[in-house]
Amino acid sequence: MSRALPEGLRRTLRRFAGLSAVERVLVSGAAVVVALLVGAVMLLGSGYVASCREPALFLAGTSFCFDPVAVYAAMYQGAFGTPVNQALTLQRMTLLIFTGLAFAIPYRAGLFNIGAQGQFVLAALATTVSLLALGPLVSGPVATAVLVPVGLLAGAVVGGLYGLLPGVLKTRYGTNEVISTLLLNFIATGVAVVIVKRAFNNPEIQGTVTRSIPEAATLQPWLFPPGTRFSVPVLAATLLLVGGFWWLLNRTTLGYDIRVLGRQQAAAVFGGVDDDRVTVLSMVIAGAVAGLGGGLYVMMVVGRWQVGLPALGFDGIAVSVLAGNNPVGLVPAGLLFGALQSGGLAINFQLGIPRELVDVLRGLVILLVATPELFRIVGRRLQRQGRLRPAGGESG
Amino acid sequence: MDTAVSLTDITKRFDDVVANDEVDMQVERGTVHALLGENGAGKTTLMNVLYGLYRPTAGEVYVDGDRAEFDSPQDAIAAGVGMIHQHFMLVEPMTVRENIALGWEPVTHGGLKTDDARIDTEVRELSERYGLGLAGDLDTPVEQLSMGARQRVEVLKALYRGADVFIFDEPTAVLTPQEVEELFDIFSQLTAQDKTIIFITHKLGEALTAADGITVLRDGERVGTVDAAGTTREQLAELMVGREVLLDVDRAARGASGDDTRLSVSDLAVTDDRGEPAVQGVDISVRGGEIVGIAGVDGNGQEPLVEAVTGVRDADAGTVRFDGEAVTGLSRRERLDRGLAHVPGDRQEQALVMEFDLVQNAVLGSQHRPPFGRRGRIDWGAAREHAEAVIEEYDVRPPNPDLPARSLSGGNQQKFVVGRELSREPDVVVAAHPTRGVDIGSKEFIHERLLAMREQGAAVLVVSASLDEVVQLSDRIAVMYEGSFVDVVPGDAATEEQLGLLMAGEQPDEPVPTGAGR
Repeated sequence: MSRALPEGLRRTLRRFAGLSAVERVLVSGAAVVVALLVGAVMLLGSGYVASCREPALFLAGTSFCFDPVAVYAAMYQGAFGTPVNQALTLQRMTLLIFTGLAFAIPYRAGLFNIGAQGQFVLAALATTVSLLALGPLVSGPVATAVLVPVGLLAGAVVGGLYGLLPGVLKTRYGTNEVISTLLLNFIATGVAVVIVKRAFNNPEIQGTVTRSIPEAATLQPWLFPPGTRFSVPVLAATLLLVGGFWWLLNRTTLGYDIRVLGRQQAAAVFGGVDDDRVTVLSMVIAGAVAGLGGGLYVMMVVGRWQVGLPALGFDGIAVSVLAGNNPVGLVPAGLLFGALQSGGLAINFQLGIPRELVDVLRGLVILLVATPELFRIVGRRLQRQGRLRPAGGESG
Repeated sequence: MDTAVSLTDITKRFDDVVANDEVDMQVERGTVHALLGENGAGKTTLMNVLYGLYRPTAGEVYVDGDRAEFDSPQDAIAAGVGMIHQHFMLVEPMTVRENIALGWEPVTHGGLKTDDARIDTEVRELSERYGLGLAGDLDTPVEQLSMGARQRVEVLKALYRGADVFIFDEPTAVLTPQEVEELFDIFSQLTAQDKTIIFITHKLGEALTAADGITVLRDGERVGTVDAAGTTREQLAELMVGREVLLDVDRAARGASGDDTRLSVSDLAVTDDRGEPAVQGVDISVRGGEIVGIAGVDGNGQEPLVEAVTGVRDADAGTVRFDGEAVTGLSRRERLDRGLAHVPGDRQEQALVMEFDLVQNAVLGSQHRPPFGRRGRIDWGAAREHAEAVIEEYDVRPPNPDLPARSLSGGNQQKFVVGRELSREPDVVVAAHPTRGVDIGSKEFIHERLLAMREQGAAVLVVSASLDEVVQLSDRIAVMYEGSFVDVVPGDAATEEQLGLLMAGEQPDEPVPTGAGR
């Protein structure tokens, strides 16, 4: 063991330094930087077009309403400046890791799960309903111990079942999962609204909202000021889950089967992989993970089901793409997107900058990450000009 | 007569594998020339050199007496060389007219509109002149045409681009017998107008019927050029197969096999991907300690047969038994667990995950069971040791288990696959083209390993398009043609000439002694 460890460590390091992994990190990093630069140009441009009482910046005799440097500074403050802001960033990050996993795992099996949003929405409702039903039956210190696992379980089960559906449709009837999961999102939202309106509407509030879940089932902030809607233990558990999924993909037979199926279907069949089983299973796992996210959203953030849940399921796709669909990569990618969301809120009400501009920034990051070839071309040109030493042998 | 195409001393290497070794070939203008050889003899590689897909490692190409250095097919087309591939390069939903003009459209209105009228005139004129009979089909989508008509579209496409020299790669592989006759008529029409044709084939009869001159390749070398007139099938078969190679394999006396049937196939019927019946009524049984070879030209149902036996594809009817137990209803994984080793015909699609390194590839098919899989986990340490052992024993180069399979040459990929499969300690071995693309030395080693499997009492089924290989290895030989076995003969009873004729679907002049065939 003592001899094997350094060898194992060396191997890990070598793999970690593998060209493709480094490439991916570089591409993602470069994409963020270029997105910020392009975003700055857009800020200047829209600041030039917009009219405002006190221009923020004068350049070459022209006045601009927005100063990109100030905007980015305010964004950073909004995302990380105070514990309250940090809590919001980390809360979004946590939830995005769940919906990101819901895209990443089927992706590794060669499937596009666009349905995390629907799985998230229905699971959130399942969590709410189960807690409302069970809440009056338990009290005292046991209440939390009972309600938290039940709420999460209800979310995971319903999310998993809603992932099972497109999985079975695909293996039984050949239904393309992109289409089925995408459309199931609309069905999920519609069904949830009808259920809430008919059976669980809170009569005291206008709109489609349920009553609040029992206090004992809400996940309390810890280390962060009261009133913030973020729980450190939840983040810790989320990071453990990420590690667990990394382990599943890389260290288990099921993970191997998933990866072979995703890479090369014919090789999976050759290797004895039951592709129907793996397809269904990875969709169920994805649904369950998205469902856990939905449950957490209720128990940690809003405390009830309400119409117009944020599009975390869709944002998760972007996070997963940025992470190279690698569970571990979801952590920094989720942090970035969480920060963009909380920072976007801040510049919106501090500087009056439309939040849509933040959406533009996020779009730019995704667009640029999805265009790795662009960076490779730039890299190759730099290499040819002798400004970059070639990294390893270039394979034809 | 002048020389339309001249290849001098063409050598083409892929890493350490020599695909063409100083091959010479001259083709006179206005003639049909056949390039004959077994699979892997280097025919297609040579033609890809002429067509600009490969640059030769050494040697020179002359077209019309001019030195040609093609960087791409575009250069070859510009020099009047056209190629009709075995798998047609047509856009199936598009019409005949669109396919023919694709990329070469004459335009009007400053490039905004294709000049359909001009295309029509030119295409109709060409079609008529060469008897291609496509003038009425210009608006028909290619997908609605028969294979023969699609081939004529390809010919017309090449003519439209100004081809003088036509290369056909296995042109009859997808055609019905009637369409083959039509194709040969087109050959005559083309040569009558001074066009030159080179066609790749491994069918003796076709070479003799359609060609004026025949160049025979074996193992990348030119073994002879003959006139079709005055050459017999037997002479050609001998040239193509090269009988002296026969003595290479040192094998134990036949009849060492046991009495127990380890693999049996009865009345098997299989459908291919297109829904066509590909295998019909196949019966074969292989005893422990016996090698049965299946000889045949590629595409006569060998692949679907192998896939049905190994569980990659479902059979429509019939039974497959391992050691007497019917496995037809069992999954692929269950068959692997019953001691099956399978070297598939398509290693890059099936046997290896190209993006995975060799460590990860070493467990493919065994990922769920010891020594690699235990209680759902994979022991990557054991996998690495296994990969290193296979690399060492089978001389896989470069000997680095961390390289992705994609970065290995085809021959080394094959060695790794054969090594992995045979190290399962199998009871039943099914190997399709076990030495395809590997160099001579490794070929021998793989043959030795297959014979060792036989010594250890495994039932071995070998499919190969190479007659050499089948004859060298097999105790019995089944010849497959159009989905069925034409004959099953003892390995030492048939001559290669006779087998070659059986493979081509023709009956030999002297009957082959039928032995223990079943």
